[in-house]
Formats: sequence, structure tokens, C-alpha cells
Amino acid sequence: MEYHPLPQPDEIEVRVREDAMGAYFMMFATAAMGLPLPILNLVAAVIYFYVNRDKGRFVQFHTLQSLYSQIPVTLLNSGLVVWTIVNFAKDYDFTSYYWGYLVMTATAGLIYFIFSLVGAVKARKGIFYYFVFFGKVAYHQVYRIRPEHGTSAPKNRPPDY
Amino acid sequence: MQRSILKDLLILLGMFGLIWLAASLFSYPENPQLLSIEKEERLGEVYVDLILLNPIFRELENERVDSAVRMIGKRLEEGLGHSEYNYRFVVFENEMINAFTVPGGNILISSGLIGFCDSPEELASVIAHEMGHVEERHVVSRLIKELGIDILTSGNQYVMGEVTGLLTSTSFDRKQEEEADQFAAELLEHSSIEPRTLASFFRKLEEELDNELMKHFEIVSTHPNFRSRIRKALSYVPGDDFEALPIDLDWEGIRAGL
Ligand SMILES: [Zn+2]
Repeated sequence: MEYHPLPQPDEIEVRVREDAMGAYFMMFATAAMGLPLPILNLVAAVIYFYVNRDKGRFVQFHTLQSLYSQIPVTLLNSGLVVWTIVNFAKDYDFTSYYWGYLVMTATAGLIYFIFSLVGAVKARKGIFYYFVFFGKVAYHQVYRIRPEHGTSAPKNRPPDY
Repeated sequence: MQRSILKDLLILLGMFGLIWLAASLFSYPENPQLLSIEKEERLGEVYVDLILLNPIFRELENERVDSAVRMIGKRLEEGLGHSEYNYRFVVFENEMINAFTVPGGNILISSGLIGFCDSPEELASVIAHEMGHVEERHVVSRLIKELGIDILTSGNQYVMGEVTGLLTSTSFDRKQEEEADQFAAELLEHSSIEPRTLASFFRKLEEELDNELMKHFEIVSTHPNFRSRIRKALSYVPGDDFEALPIDLDWEGIRAGL
């Protein structure tokens, strides 16, 4: 599989770096907003991604990495909210599995927060910083050279050689 | 690339699965497995003695009642088959309608409850429910949750007082109640007692919910959900080969002698 070449830090404009950094902070903001209903922040994150789609691959990569890594955290949070409500509504016990889940969710949230912070700082410096799994998925999606498909608008490309 | 992505994913899933599992085991020591049955029985003996020292729970001295309760208990134990517990049924002298479980398979029954039951089968259904709490180890879970395993087994006299207080007032949550009801229905069936006695007895209890004499009765502590428990108990259908064998006791005579 072929990938687009990666730009070096000095080749990335400051404005682009700031947008890439913004992706992580935007995720924090939506995460805070979406606390009562965690699924909301995913919607906001997807909107952010589409708004910034045309800002180049560097921004796209960081936005996607942030977006993807947020998905499991959001799902875990949602699960916790549902589990808690069900326990209260049905007067169920808060079992050891519940508390274990809570610890796991908190751990995931903390790891996500730390990695995002590091990601934001690196993005500001024009550096690619890959999260475990999500970094690779985002890179693969953004930098993979896709085969042309006929229906899209024509794009100018350098000649094949 | 895809391979390496998949490897990362598996590592992540494994890591968080382990965190969940480890945190479940360590974070919340409510697990009844923390207390062995032998230890539970030893603790239970001490608690029963302590509780019976309290004038509110003075043991009833009535040979007829004792042998009747023993007979009902024996029928249920036979229906239960193998059990890790040696059951002990104690009747205490109190007009309150009450029955509760002390660790180690000790079931305490008030004379008021015996007077309230219109048949030995009704009493059997209460005892079967309590045996459900014993077999499912609800009491132990409750105590460990309230006090922690270290305090529970410390043998400290103040802790003992606290435990006896908890035991005589503990209510279970809805899930535990439903488990005990389900257990009781099955146990009644295996003991050749009509399992729907539980439902008719519940209905009788429901009419008396405001009765002051019932305020400590754990079986009715889940008021808001009582209807659904009655429905569930009613919907329990015994197998085709089920045949009810009456418990052969002069119940009216026993109640009259209370
Ligand atoms: Zn109960």
C-alpha cells in the first residue's frame, strides 16, 4: 500500500499547526460539554472534522486521531451512565463489576486526556505523534493513496513514472 | 500496516479487559467468596447466641412449635438435597411478624409470624425464601459490603454488636429479593409444597403492608415492587409430575398454643 509523503516540521505552516492543535482542545471542550450525555460530544467532534476537512492532511490526521481515540472513551462513558441509571432505577446492587468498570472508564479517560495533551503540544510543533492503534488508523486513512474513482471531480496529479 | 493496527487493537482490548477484571476483584470487596462457609458457620453461631441474649429475641420455649418448625425445615432440606449449610431454625418470642437469616444457615422466626401464617405451607414458603438468602449468600454479601471483610471477621465486641444490629434490620435489594423468591418457588416445588403458596402469602402480606407489626419483616421491604413479585410468584408453574403433599400438622392447635 502506498502512502503520501509526510511533511517535515519546518514545512508545516504555523496556522496549520494551530488548527491541528485545536483539534485536540476542541475534543476536550466537546467532551466537557457532552458529560451528561456522552454521545453528544462525538457528534460535535464529527462536525469539527467535516468543518476542517479542507485544511490539509496534517490537520486531518490530528483531528481523526483525536476523534477516533475519543470513540471508545465515549462509549465507555455512555455505558457507565446507562449502568448507573439502571442500577438506581431498578434498585440493583452496585456490584464489583460495576466498580471495576468505573475504574476502567476513569483510566481510559485519563489516558485519553494525557495522550491528547501530548498530541496537542506535538501538533503545535508540527510533529506527528501516533497514539497506539488510533494513530495508525488515522495515518492509514489520511495518508493512504486512494485509487481514483470515476465519479469524483477530476484532480490534477503528477504524471506516473 | 493492517496487521500492526490489529495487533495494537488487541493489545488495547486486552489491557483494558485486564484493568476491568483486576479492578473488579480488588476495588470492591463485597465478594461473599471472601468468607469461607466454615468461617461463616462459626461466626453465625456466635451471632445467633448474641441475638438470642437480647430480650426482644428471646427463644420461645414451646416444644410443639419447635417440632412443627423442625418438621417444615426438614421437608425443605430434603427438597433442597445437597447443601453446604447445616440449617438451624430458631423461633423467638415476639408479636412482630418477622423472620430473618443469620450467617451460617441460621433462620430466626418470630412467634408472631407463626401466628400470622394460616397454614404450615405459608410458613414453609417464608422459610424457603430465607433459605434462598442463605444459599445465594446474600447475608454474607450484605455484611461484607457494610463492614468489609477485615472488620467482619475481627471478633471485636463492638463489631459484634453492630453485626447483630445489621442482621436484625438488614433489607436486601430488589434483585436479591427476586432471587430468593425464585429460589423459594423452586425449593417448594422440590419439597412437594405448592409453589404458588408464596404468591397467596405475598398477597396476604400486601393487604397488611401498613401493619406496624410488619415493619421489620425483610420480605416486604421492597414495597414498591411487591406487585411484580406477586406476579412472578404466581407465574411459576410447577412441572407436570408435581404433586403437593400436605404438611401433616395440627396447625390450628399449634397456633392456639402460642
Ligand atoms: Zn428476602
